Amino acid sequence: MMFVLRMAARETRSSWRRLLFFFICIAVGVAAIVTLRSVIQSVRQVFGTEAKALIAGDLLIATNREWTPEARQTIDRRLADAGVTDRTETMETPTMVRPADRTRQVAKMAELRAVQRGFPLYGAVELQGGQTYSHALLEGHGALVRPELLTSIGVAVGDQIIIGQTAFTIRGVIAREPGRGMGEFSLGPRVIIDFDDLPSTGLLSFGSRARRVVLVKLPDESRIEALVTTLRDDFRDDFINTRSFRSTEDQVGRDFDRAENYLSLVGLIIVILGGIAVSSVTRVFILQKIRSIAVLKCVGARSTQIVAVYLLQVVTLGLAGSLLGVALARGVVAAIPMALGGSTSLLATVHYGVTWSAATQGVGIGVLVSLLFSVVPLLHVRFIKPSLLLRDETVRRRMDWLGLGVLVAVSAALVALTAWQAASLKAGLVVCAGFAGLAFVLQLAGQGLITLVKPLAMSKSFPLRHAVLHLSRPGNQTRVILLAVGLGAFFIVGVRSLQGSLLSEFSVQVAADGPDMFLLDVQRAQADGVRAFLADPARDIGDFQLIPVLRGRVVGVSGRETNLEGADEVRQRGNSIGREFTLTYRDRLESNERVVDGAFWNGPSTEPEVSIEKQIAERAKIHVGDTMRFDILGQTVSPKVTSIRDVEWRESRNGGFVFVFRPGVLDKAPQTFVAPFRGPHDVTARARFQHDLVERFPNVSVIDFHEVLETIRDVMSKVTLAITVVGGLVLLSGVLILIGAVAMTKFQRVYEAAVFKTLGANTRTIAKMLLIEYGVLGSLAGLIGSLGAVALTWGVSKYALEIPWRIFPSEHTAGVLLTALLVAVIGVLSSLEVLRNKPLATLRAE
Amino acid sequence: MKRFGREHVALLALAVVLMTGACGSRAAREDERDGAGARGPAAASTPPKSSSIAPATMGAKAGPRPRIAILGDSLTAGLGLRQSQAYPTLLQQRLDDEGLNYEVVNAGVSGDTSAGGLARLDWALQGDVRILIVALGGNDALRALPTDQLRDNLATVIERAQARGVTVVLAGMEAPPNFGRDYIVAFHQVYPALVAKYHVAFVPFLLAGVAGIDSLNQPDGMHPTATGARIVADNVWKVLEPIAKEKRVETRSGT
Repeated sequence: MMFVLRMAARETRSSWRRLLFFFICIAVGVAAIVTLRSVIQSVRQVFGTEAKALIAGDLLIATNREWTPEARQTIDRRLADAGVTDRTETMETPTMVRPADRTRQVAKMAELRAVQRGFPLYGAVELQGGQTYSHALLEGHGALVRPELLTSIGVAVGDQIIIGQTAFTIRGVIAREPGRGMGEFSLGPRVIIDFDDLPSTGLLSFGSRARRVVLVKLPDESRIEALVTTLRDDFRDDFINTRSFRSTEDQVGRDFDRAENYLSLVGLIIVILGGIAVSSVTRVFILQKIRSIAVLKCVGARSTQIVAVYLLQVVTLGLAGSLLGVALARGVVAAIPMALGGSTSLLATVHYGVTWSAATQGVGIGVLVSLLFSVVPLLHVRFIKPSLLLRDETVRRRMDWLGLGVLVAVSAALVALTAWQAASLKAGLVVCAGFAGLAFVLQLAGQGLITLVKPLAMSKSFPLRHAVLHLSRPGNQTRVILLAVGLGAFFIVGVRSLQGSLLSEFSVQVAADGPDMFLLDVQRAQADGVRAFLADPARDIGDFQLIPVLRGRVVGVSGRETNLEGADEVRQRGNSIGREFTLTYRDRLESNERVVDGAFWNGPSTEPEVSIEKQIAERAKIHVGDTMRFDILGQTVSPKVTSIRDVEWRESRNGGFVFVFRPGVLDKAPQTFVAPFRGPHDVTARARFQHDLVERFPNVSVIDFHEVLETIRDVMSKVTLAITVVGGLVLLSGVLILIGAVAMTKFQRVYEAAVFKTLGANTRTIAKMLLIEYGVLGSLAGLIGSLGAVALTWGVSKYALEIPWRIFPSEHTAGVLLTALLVAVIGVLSSLEVLRNKPLATLRAE
Repeated sequence: MKRFGREHVALLALAVVLMTGACGSRAAREDERDGAGARGPAAASTPPKSSSIAPATMGAKAGPRPRIAILGDSLTAGLGLRQSQAYPTLLQQRLDDEGLNYEVVNAGVSGDTSAGGLARLDWALQGDVRILIVALGGNDALRALPTDQLRDNLATVIERAQARGVTVVLAGMEAPPNFGRDYIVAFHQVYPALVAKYHVAFVPFLLAGVAGIDSLNQPDGMHPTATGARIVADNVWKVLEPIAKEKRVETRSGT
């Protein structure tokens, strides 16, 4: 045992420069893992807080009926069981608000919300003019209102308004409010009052429409989902809904989910990248030791002793390197707020620090991976014969039961490690399978490359000839570099492309010029008036369009594949066309539409024609040339299907319609118009706009979802920034890791370069030789990696993130070029020392 | 091209599809689920080849028959119900059972206000319409639209129908109490005033015995269930039956 320790110490002392490099490579790998995991954990926490502020609690239980005593009891019991610390109730109801001054006959529909002292459990009510919210503002018939209300009924802060039968004093103006239901739209501005004042309004009696909400805060986040499931089971037959802040029922929820999935994936990938680097470094390190091992065997060391010596070295260095990595990570994480500069305010709430769990995982991975990857080559030590030293023959690879057993154990440990990181065995297996598949492809590519470049070995150019020979000679590093760099490029390019995909997905929602107002129920006679009203440049609104809408049902299809007679048959057998549809007619395609079959009409016709959306057409098996029958307000219209449209629903600025009719037949049918557009920017201008419009066209309803959109934009810009930061870190650490992995291979080349120099090759020739060798390897690895990344982004977009697959050719091209360049430059640079110095020093040292 | 997020589309879709307030999507789902067992006489007649637009009849028997048109909103359209469960179909069944040779035309459009109803009056009165049931106002109430507007629109509908010699039945609606006393009183007064002025037959409250009763309403708390729709049909039938019978007598004596 003492021998092992002494030998390990001596070995370390003698080759400290090489070991230092090994040590730094591990440190970089571990630092990358720890930094990213820490940042990801902090960012997720912010996501959590933001998501909670959207519903103002961990979970909410809501009903549009009155709470029954039984329901109350059940809720109380379940919440007590789950250890709920905080709960508060709110009630929401649409109502009419008018000024207390009876001489003014004006009233406005508002969305009243009555809140208790505990509201909100998360987030904060923001008031205009820097006023801070407290429940005291509401007590004693106080009210907080949205600015739109002030404009529309002509009141100001301090004035009294009448809600129901009671007067309330306006005590502040709401700028932003947590728990403004996403995905809900409202017909009026918000008014907040005290829960205790609600009964005095007399608004709630038999037949009133109100939404009653219980907001809940749990001390232990992990119990939320279980509580939601229990409550949903309890109230399956009642009109009570439960949802947690994690619910993915709306767009923002899904986006949070996607961002989280993306982050876990990145976390997993960085672990693998770090693992690749550590493993390739370990492998080179061990190969370098073969001669020393042979010498040790000559002087009588036993295989077990030798294995113990090197394992001890690897573990010590792995541990020390990992600890250094954690220290590095601390520095990087601390530097992030500085690097972000002015934009930090967005992520101001992020706690920048290394988390304990991330540090532990990082160190664990550093040590485990270096151990795992050193065990297999070390086992070969058993077959190294002392004669090796004398004959200089290559070590023959042999596989015995022990070797195989260890290999299986190593693989199993790797899968387990991945599964632990991914927090799912399935994900771990999938990633490992993809990883193994790519590794296999890279191996084959290595073989292929060697065969492919063989003819070049006859080349007259000395550097080219030898560069090619290097690729295929015994002890070549083709496979090692292809594997490490190929996988590295694969993951980095993959992550960058996914980031691009995800961010363009988000940017759709953050687009500042998207419609945020919607006119409803414009009658035909009013259409021209509304058009003129909207076109007035003083209104400061974006492009608009009045879209005619009609309601109709499909009551029959006679076609090639589908024949349905009557409404009931359509409903039973017509897949997904049995519901009521909103129809329109127009003469052109929207920019998010594309005809995939048939031809879109040109101009009006007295013969009815219809164009169907692709998915519905496929599901209902309707083809061009079929005839459909629609019941439109009691009249039957039988159009011929003349085209099938592919509609990009996500980008349908103007709604998006399953059935579009050819103008001519429906023009006379009863219809109303809707108009989506971007409303005035300024909040008072918006209020004024709505007021003026409704004054002139009293039956027209204006739906304003600006506030909801603002909240979404705010949240999404935080998510976007977080993802960009993480993406930047991946690129940075990935490149560092690859540099380490490639540079480590220099030890194989140093000796050869020295020999070449002795034989008369000049520095330029050797540099050229290295440049070609590493350049070819880099290009091939980059190419395979980038192509693999295309597959990766496709799979992940489709199955993990559920976003449309986008391809970024520039990312992939840059991936290939930069990888080639990087590998070539590192290859040459890392051998710089031998290129510059006299060869003898190197030869002696070896 | 400016893009338009899915969120907005959802909002739009929601807004367009069901202005009635909250629940459309769920109702639509139920609609589809219920579709499996649909039966009843709601088959549409095959359209004549000569014309692309033809009346969609609700009765099983073919041939032109005098019509009863119901101008209404989602309550009439039967949002969340099978067509065979909606109250216009139930009325058709009762007419058939009584041997009254009428065809009921369901001119209910989900989300329609009194202004929308007025705009499509001519369309609804196509064909041999003898009786017009006006069942509008629910969406005016949900959107708290001005009551004078409701009154004017309904008045115009009645005047135009009467000018064509169509007998009008007015079905009343109430605003929910959460809009406050002022509004609900003003709203409530619209219908009796019209009845007094135009001497039309009156169903005081279309949803009498249904509104506010959990078990008779769909989860949105606004639209009747199949059982609720039967009560609605009863409410209308009480007023419609004598008129339909009286008109039949007139038709016979006339020919």
